[in-house]
Amino acid sequence: MAIQLEHVSYTYDARSLLRQTALQDVNLELAEGLLTGIAGASGSGKSTLLQLLNGILLPTEGTVRVLDVTLIAGRKPPKLASLRRRVGLVFQFPEQQLFAATLEEDLIFGPLNFGASPEDAARRARKAVGQMGLDEALLSRHPLQLSGGQRRKAAIASVLAMDPDILVLDEPGATLDQVSRMELTQLLHRLCREEGKTVIIVTHRLDELLPYADLWMIMHEGRAVFQGTTRGLVDEARQLPGYGLSVPQPIQYWLELEEAYGLQTEEPCLSPSGLAERLTQLAFTEAKKARAYA
Amino acid sequence: MNAMENIQHKSPVLTGYQENIAAAGEDIPAEGSSKAVTDMVVLEELSFAYDGQHADIHDISLAIGKGEWVTLVGANGCGKSTLIRLMNGLLRTSYGRIYIGGIRLEPGTLGEIRQKVGMVFQNPDNQFIGATVEEDMAFGMEGRCLDAGEMRNRISGYASRLGISDLLHRHPQELSGGQKQRAAIAAILAMEPELIIFDEASSMLDEKARRDWLDLLLEMHNEARYTLLSITHDAEEIAASQRVLVMHQGGLAADLAPQELFRDVGLLRLCRMEPPFRIRFALELEKRGMMPAQQGMTDGSPNPGSEVKRIWPFSWSM
Repeated sequence: MAIQLEHVSYTYDARSLLRQTALQDVNLELAEGLLTGIAGASGSGKSTLLQLLNGILLPTEGTVRVLDVTLIAGRKPPKLASLRRRVGLVFQFPEQQLFAATLEEDLIFGPLNFGASPEDAARRARKAVGQMGLDEALLSRHPLQLSGGQRRKAAIASVLAMDPDILVLDEPGATLDQVSRMELTQLLHRLCREEGKTVIIVTHRLDELLPYADLWMIMHEGRAVFQGTTRGLVDEARQLPGYGLSVPQPIQYWLELEEAYGLQTEEPCLSPSGLAERLTQLAFTEAKKARAYA
Repeated sequence: MNAMENIQHKSPVLTGYQENIAAAGEDIPAEGSSKAVTDMVVLEELSFAYDGQHADIHDISLAIGKGEWVTLVGANGCGKSTLIRLMNGLLRTSYGRIYIGGIRLEPGTLGEIRQKVGMVFQNPDNQFIGATVEEDMAFGMEGRCLDAGEMRNRISGYASRLGISDLLHRHPQELSGGQKQRAAIAAILAMEPELIIFDEASSMLDEKARRDWLDLLLEMHNEARYTLLSITHDAEEIAASQRVLVMHQGGLAADLAPQELFRDVGLLRLCRMEPPFRIRFALELEKRGMMPAQQGMTDGSPNPGSEVKRIWPFSWSM
């Protein structure tokens, strides 16, 4: 099990009047090598949950197990350096994690810090820049001279350069153009399938992640109100508006199709081409039937 | 004849004159022409370079009419944010002219122009100043030396329009993402700008907040008081606007209607965009010989048109 949360709660400013409970009694189990999507309205506890996964926040109640590290509420945590090398976290705002004088320094900081040789670190930086589709000419620029989208790609590249086992990304596509967003999702999907990485993505755009995610988790007011496969999410989709989310268009279309043809047990097709292909098949089969009976 | 050509090439006066004639045929108003009054934004041969050498904005000329709702799209790093920062003088142009509401942007008119232009940024946290939403709304107006009664009127008026009346006494950091963005807009509207520029203002909103956001833009547009210019990667928001400006590597690559953009595969690739899901789906169906219900049924196919109509009668007109 890559990640396991047992009855985890997290309260900000727990000892003051401003105490604010962000997570309540969350249970979660994620096997290694899966791609999980997390969705939920603003303020539902998604970002807090992510920060528990590499020990930036420690649970105020319950137990968090990530790889071979166990964090128990109220106990002194073990050394977290190795956990942080193995769990790469990309924050919501890239400005929060870019700090060096040039993009290259930013990218090699992580690998150097975790013991890579300078040559190895430089090689990793170049590879990560290539993976994110950034021009190598940008390596000598100051990170804050990059455009908003380039900055976000840089922040993701700096985490890729560390080659972590678990990749955790908080709305990584928010300011990227659509094609970059799609390329990023495909890259993460590939890392997951080919290199066995565990990938966790918080997103507001469920429709774009639907064709790729193995598992889904829906957060609402600090609780995990849904956990399961894409098929399960489709079955529960009508509950989404109650959690401040709308039913993604691909699911809406699929539900209509499902109802019209009784496909409730089938694996849903949620990409434009997949959905169109399935509908065409169905329509032609039906037409054939109609002709046969006529 | 040869001699004439030579003269034309060598005479800078003549060449300049010819260029003017050529320009008059296009939609570029000459300096001081009457067109400048009905246009909210006029950019003429605008260029800009951060380092003084490599042009980050390259020779852009365009006009945006009063009351228009325009979106500005393009790949990451193509110069969208740079272009809008030139429009209210946050960055100073290296070459070319900018007119806002008929006034030329230059050091002497900067104050006047900034009164006409309101900007809303991607991360509302970057533009909150006050300790409460109300204070934040008052800040800009205080800077303009408005009297207290007028300020109170505007605060209560715009707060109720944006549905944040209950939040006026809260600290901006206590609000959700969508509420913050509304508070930021209320503060901008209270300054009563004529041109409002949004720099990916909806990118951090969750899905439901994005839908409310679109309704708000529509409502503002229908009021006809504002010219709206929005940078966005959101296909739905682009589809809802009237006109799209496509930027590519610092230049203007196209100026067209959203429906045309979503039909133009080459242009979409250029600005690294995908049409909204329902259009991509419709295109995929079309590839397989299934036409949307409105476009009638095709011969030879086993009547799938009616199938589409039965299941979901979507339409091309957005």
